[in-house]
Amino acid sequence: MAVSFSSDLQNALARLRELSALAARSAEENLPAILAHGHDAAAAWLDAAYRLISHDRDSGRAFIQGSLAAENASEQVLPWTEQALAFTRWAGAARAFEAFMHELPQAYGLLGHAGERRWAELGLRWCERHLDSGRAYFAVPVRELSGRSGIAGIEQILDCAEELYESRHLMLVSYLQGALRVRNLLGPQAVTPWAARGSDIMQSGRARGEAYFRLESEESLRLLLESLPGYRPVEHTRLLSLLVEIWFDETIDLKESAWTPEKGRPFIECDGQSLMLPPVLTDQDETVLSVLHSAGSMIHGSYDPRDVRRMFELSGLPAPREGEAIAMDPLFTRFGEDAQRFKLVFDIAEDLRVDMAVNRDVPNHLKRMLRAAESMGVPPDPAGSYYRYALDTIRLALGLPNDLDAGERELLLRLALPRAGIADAFEVALRLFESTRLPPIDSRESSVLAYLPGRSPNASRAFQPRERSSDSQGGESEGEQGEGEQQEQEAGEQEESESQETAGEREESSEADEQEATGTGTTSGVGTSRKRQEEQAGRGGSSDKGIPYPEWDYREQRLKRNWAWVQEKKLAESNLGEARRLEQEYAVALKKLKQALQAQKPTRLAPQRRQFEGEEIDLEAAITYVTERAAGMSPEATVYRRRELNQREVSVILLADLSTSIMQLLPEGRGRLVDRVRAGILLFAESLEMVGDSYAIAGFCSKYRDNVAYYRIKDFDEPWSSEVKAQVGGLSGRLATRMGTAIRHATACFNAVSSRRRLLLLVSDGRPEDYDDGGDRRYLHEDTRMAVKEAVARGVHPYCITVDTLANEYLPQIFGKGHYLVLDHINSLPRRLPEIYLKLRR
Amino acid sequence: MSNAVNRQRGVEHDIVQPPQVAAAAPYYEPQANEIAVFEAAARRKLPVMLKGPTGCGKTRFLEYMAWRLKRALVTVSCHEDLTSSDLVGRFLLEGAQTVWQDGPLTRAVKAGAICYLDEIVEARTDSTVVIHSLTDHRRKLTLEKKGEEIDAHDDFLLVISYNPGYQTVLKDLKPSTKQRFIGLTFDFPTPEIEKKIIMTEVPGLPGDIATKLVATGNKARGLKDHGLDEVTSTRALVYAANLIVAGLPPVEACRAAMVHPMTDDIELSAALSEIISAHFD
Repeated sequence: MAVSFSSDLQNALARLRELSALAARSAEENLPAILAHGHDAAAAWLDAAYRLISHDRDSGRAFIQGSLAAENASEQVLPWTEQALAFTRWAGAARAFEAFMHELPQAYGLLGHAGERRWAELGLRWCERHLDSGRAYFAVPVRELSGRSGIAGIEQILDCAEELYESRHLMLVSYLQGALRVRNLLGPQAVTPWAARGSDIMQSGRARGEAYFRLESEESLRLLLESLPGYRPVEHTRLLSLLVEIWFDETIDLKESAWTPEKGRPFIECDGQSLMLPPVLTDQDETVLSVLHSAGSMIHGSYDPRDVRRMFELSGLPAPREGEAIAMDPLFTRFGEDAQRFKLVFDIAEDLRVDMAVNRDVPNHLKRMLRAAESMGVPPDPAGSYYRYALDTIRLALGLPNDLDAGERELLLRLALPRAGIADAFEVALRLFESTRLPPIDSRESSVLAYLPGRSPNASRAFQPRERSSDSQGGESEGEQGEGEQQEQEAGEQEESESQETAGEREESSEADEQEATGTGTTSGVGTSRKRQEEQAGRGGSSDKGIPYPEWDYREQRLKRNWAWVQEKKLAESNLGEARRLEQEYAVALKKLKQALQAQKPTRLAPQRRQFEGEEIDLEAAITYVTERAAGMSPEATVYRRRELNQREVSVILLADLSTSIMQLLPEGRGRLVDRVRAGILLFAESLEMVGDSYAIAGFCSKYRDNVAYYRIKDFDEPWSSEVKAQVGGLSGRLATRMGTAIRHATACFNAVSSRRRLLLLVSDGRPEDYDDGGDRRYLHEDTRMAVKEAVARGVHPYCITVDTLANEYLPQIFGKGHYLVLDHINSLPRRLPEIYLKLRR
Repeated sequence: MSNAVNRQRGVEHDIVQPPQVAAAAPYYEPQANEIAVFEAAARRKLPVMLKGPTGCGKTRFLEYMAWRLKRALVTVSCHEDLTSSDLVGRFLLEGAQTVWQDGPLTRAVKAGAICYLDEIVEARTDSTVVIHSLTDHRRKLTLEKKGEEIDAHDDFLLVISYNPGYQTVLKDLKPSTKQRFIGLTFDFPTPEIEKKIIMTEVPGLPGDIATKLVATGNKARGLKDHGLDEVTSTRALVYAANLIVAGLPPVEACRAAMVHPMTDDIELSAALSEIISAHFD
């Protein structure tokens, strides 16, 4: 021992040695540094070490080992020694204490002496209350705890905890991690409201409240996502799908992804079939770029099965099995430690290819991306190098000056050819990677920063192959093209033969059905003919078999007689409360609607002119009358105008599709589709009451051809009573959508009215389908088209309003141009329904 | 000269204007065989129906044809309250006497003009009936109130326009009326022609801006099925071009001419704005 200590210190060391030789040895090593602060300080320190060790060995050891750093950071000894001694008050505080000692130097470094004192004081107070909370507190790195705003940051976050402890007895341990995350994501000002909301939830249930604070419950996550700053793509799906349609002339399904804030930078993902939008992106610009880029990659063949096979071939890997979702990971994991690095190079090449292709559809796409990327700023290295490299590739594509060398340029510009596919990008990436100067990168966190705004990791999830839909494959090399075509042809033939098979089966089965039908017919032959008479006489349909309608079979190009059977029913459920609730919810909308109607009343209710009697003079008619009299003629004295509500000029049936799908939850999570349908019908009926047109409300659903239910909710001459409202309130979905038959039946219902203008307003949420259509969508489509034609021939105008965003694919064929409307927003259904009707009847 | 007058007061014209042979032709860019069809119909005295969306050039076509055939053009815009006497004529009181005043249709029939009934579906059905006898071999107009019949002038030609859109689901022309006409379907011109039209209509517009305008308009027309009642017309493009030449930045000009008048729907206008800013980046 080079240094000799005074005797009392020697004694203290000896006392320590009795407890633990190891501890004494490290104490002896640290003692000189402590001794620099004076003999008294050293004595107190040794005493504290002794007391801590005798209290708890681990604490003592942590104290002695951490002291050097603490002394170094604080340049004092006594204050933190005293703080350390406070831990001896509790049993089992070792882990809290270890965390305290570990963070001590940081606390001095970041918070200063006064700040450290407060930090320790707050922590000790929590140890006193609840040791676990104290440990949780000290375990958080001071840097994180303070949120870069010093002790004030710590106090702010702890003040909320204090309140929660006092009001709801919530422990810091359940609160702290969540609060820190909220602060990191949303900023300090978000913590207080978040905590206040949690406090309310806590009141309704302890478990629920704690889950909320730990950010484990659905509701806290949702709330968090809702308050995240930025642009919410999901709220703008209509705009985004409009843009996809405008630029690419295709409909792509947009869904919500399960992204949560701790997953890091949000990206749009794609499974080859649809795009998954994260709850939040930076701004509209980034969102539009992302959607265009991702949709572009779907359309321009990033998921093309032929290209994918070629990529696996190039890597010497077995091709993924057909019919299964494809994961591209094997292509990258081959590179071992460099996997992430290669993936980024590949993504740069592939993204460049896609963006150049998108740039052909969307003017100035690359320019816009470059601008967004430049304004976002380059992330720190190593991601920054990749970011700059990607920027350079875009500049290359735009013909701007860049830092790429000639070889790189040559390789990258190959991807500008319209026929270039993802496999070409892969080849280019392989070549680029051989001579890349890009730095190694391993962590996923930093690699996500390497993507330009609008771009995202390719194939981040397994995907279903999707043929490229851009018709730019013209110049592909002969052999491949031929092969591909052959394969396609084969596949086509196979499909065809399959479909023939199924068609054959169907025919057989339908024959069987027919036999069955005639079978029942013969057993009760008299019955059916009587029923038919009944139905012809008036509105029969009380029989269990119902009213038969023909159905169009496009394969045979003929109508199958008495094929589909409609049963008229009354809805069993009714729910007046729901109707009242909806009336209240939409009271404002209804009031507005009524005001609008009121304002337009003179024209809306087109006063009848040139009447023999009425409440006002028709000035024009009167003048004509006088002049014609004077001219020596004997005109009719039709000089009055009459306003009458019940003009009965137009009659309309609102026919709602009541299939199962209307029970689906809305994507925004506020209720079900059926709520909007109910509200729409209520508003519709209210405005029709006001306008005075005669109207009926009905719904339909089906299960097999002989079981089409037609629910008469309100007849033309039935008053809009509370029973009817209750039925609307109780609407629910069931079974499938045999639309053609329902249209035929509704058309028949118009026979009862005399109006010249007859409108059949269909509210639907999907394509015509039934359980027995054997997956052949075309069958019921064709039948519905035929039913629409028949209705038109009988003077009924069918008009379809749908909330199915894919409806543009089939409605034009069925209803004809201008006879349908696709609502992009389900929420607008209630408001739009009356509007659309009024527009139609104009 | 006419400019100087226009600055002091509006200029009155009779609705039946004799053709001004010396005047310059109204600008019209043929899209297909419409001129030949129209001329043949006029030669054989057959009534014509012009179909097509708003602002695609129906009226301009007719002005051009009137100039070409050297006939007067009488235009009647039809509306809900248009009655047959608004077309045919009525008695008026003048002092203690009554005077018969011909309506625009009667005057055209007498003068051998082209009578253009714009948006005929809007008119009440009773007024569409009076044209029936004019549209077949009889070529007669009956003045019921006067107890007269007029044989149409040889040069008289009846033209109606009709815009099949979804607002007319319930207000379609009766098939019996429709089939009395020769039909000419108009649509928006091809990009090349549309560019030429815009550049001729708005002298001084740079060619590249015109190209972008046309591309923007074509993309915007893709939004038709999404709640736009009318799509971006050639007229709207010409308006936008006018604003650009008057000094507005292209994006602002397009918004003012092609977005705000079309829709109040926020998402739709955002989509339209996206199209515009992409083209004029």
